[in-house]
Amino acid sequence: MKQLLFSIFLLLMVSSCQKEKIKLGKNVSETFYVENKGASMRVLVEGNTSSKTVLLFIHGGPGSSSYFYNSDYISDNIEDKYAVAYWDHRNAGASQGAGNADYFNLPTMTEDLEKVIQVLKFRYGSDISIFLLAHSFGGMLSTSFVTKGNNQNLIKGWIICSASHNYPLNDDYTRHALSFYANQQIALGNNSSQWQEILDFVIGLPAGVLDLETANQLNSYAAEAESYFSEVSPFPMVDVIKANAIRQNYAITSTFLNLKFSQSANIQDELRNYDFSNALAGVSLPVMTLYGKYDFICPPALGNDVISRINSTDTFSVILPNSGHIGMYQDQAIFCQRVNEFILQFK
Amino acid sequence: MRIIGFIFFFVFVIQSVYSQEDSSRLSHEMKASNVKLAYNSSIVYPGVRMGLEIPLKSIVLSRTKRKGKQEVFLKDRFITGNVSWYHHPTFHDNVYATLGYSMRRTGDRGWFTEFSPELGYSRTFLGGTTYQVDEKGSVSVRRMAGYNYALVSLGCGLGYDLSVVQSRPFSVYYKFNVLLLFPYNSTYYIRPAMELGIIYKTAKFLRVNANQKHISKNKFKA
Repeated sequence: MKQLLFSIFLLLMVSSCQKEKIKLGKNVSETFYVENKGASMRVLVEGNTSSKTVLLFIHGGPGSSSYFYNSDYISDNIEDKYAVAYWDHRNAGASQGAGNADYFNLPTMTEDLEKVIQVLKFRYGSDISIFLLAHSFGGMLSTSFVTKGNNQNLIKGWIICSASHNYPLNDDYTRHALSFYANQQIALGNNSSQWQEILDFVIGLPAGVLDLETANQLNSYAAEAESYFSEVSPFPMVDVIKANAIRQNYAITSTFLNLKFSQSANIQDELRNYDFSNALAGVSLPVMTLYGKYDFICPPALGNDVISRINSTDTFSVILPNSGHIGMYQDQAIFCQRVNEFILQFK
Repeated sequence: MRIIGFIFFFVFVIQSVYSQEDSSRLSHEMKASNVKLAYNSSIVYPGVRMGLEIPLKSIVLSRTKRKGKQEVFLKDRFITGNVSWYHHPTFHDNVYATLGYSMRRTGDRGWFTEFSPELGYSRTFLGGTTYQVDEKGSVSVRRMAGYNYALVSLGCGLGYDLSVVQSRPFSVYYKFNVLLLFPYNSTYYIRPAMELGIIYKTAKFLRVNANQKHISKNKFKA
């Protein structure tokens, strides 16, 4: 009995003390953690690290996970050329910690991102080219990062996919988009009763900045609205989980409980006070925006706001014709093609 | 309200009738502890669990059923101590120690069911090299990175006691546990864990003076 206990203890000691040898390769899959202020954040790097180019996903939420971006299509069409880093923010996905709610805010998460980039450079070389790919709330976090100090010098390009940098502005654009399409679809006789309900809600919204509860209700209608267009295929969340949960060792309950916690955390209220539109003038990076034509959660007008405010000569705007909010799945071919082209041009 | 009142009354009457003890006898007996070893899987992720069951009390319940057939149950109560480990690749390894109270009911053919609440301590080890970055931007590896959590576990299981019919000092069992770790990211973490293992009934190991109560009931009195 003692020997068995000792063997297990020894095994744990040895495995945790081994120094990891990092070799660059064309088909790697490596998980490591970055620790900062009470959180240990999971980073999965997959694909071609020999390319010395890393595309770093910044997921939505806050509180979602990078697991859901790691699709077979992205593996076959981006990871074969470049490495892709799937980072779980603090209090998200497989990221772990103890009592760390005090640090669950945008400034700390921005600091987390800085540290993730420093660790990527430590592991794969200071000469690697890093591109950020921000989705949804990831837009807020990445904007906070690129507009802080000299952070933009750490990366080669910024890709914004169906993301937000300004929640009050986002709400305005969502209202307008819903109102426009509701009138159009009612006139065409498509799902009239559902669109009428959405229109009534939008018309009844108060002027100015919405409170969190109303904004969440607006968000629910925005998510629902994309499902009324036959061009948009729904995001197959259940199929993705079924296909990948065991293969990719999902920490399922952690992901679910982190999301549940995040949805009611103070950060949701705090985020409504951030407006990065004016800070964008300092950005001189190459930037590409990709927005779903039928994305009502983060309407394409948000991308136009970014492009019009930054001081970069290298800007690209892409509308994904069959997408709602999850363009990387709903228009995966165009998405991967445009991302690859952008990286190739600026790496 | 009347219906609830009636249900309470009905349950009370039924319970009173069925809990009548025709005879009972209390004794003390030196009993040895059980040792158990199990595969501790979390659906697909492997692990090991070792434990000790220290007998606290036993109730031998015999009751005469209709047609004079006698039914004997053994209700055992144990204080349990367990050390467990599971490995979830890229997420964490978790080593946890628990202290619990186990309630087991064994039928006269050897089949048993059990329920056991446990309290304990968990130490996780992160499933990948862990880096920290200081204020100057220097990156270093943190050894043995992980977290300490309080742990609550609830488990229920079923098994077969080979000592009842075959006089072999072993039981085999399956048990489903739900682990709750906290504070995990300022909230809690829930994880299912399944045990498939054997219990060895030792002859002399860690003998304690356990209460033993024999109760005979005549369920259907003439």
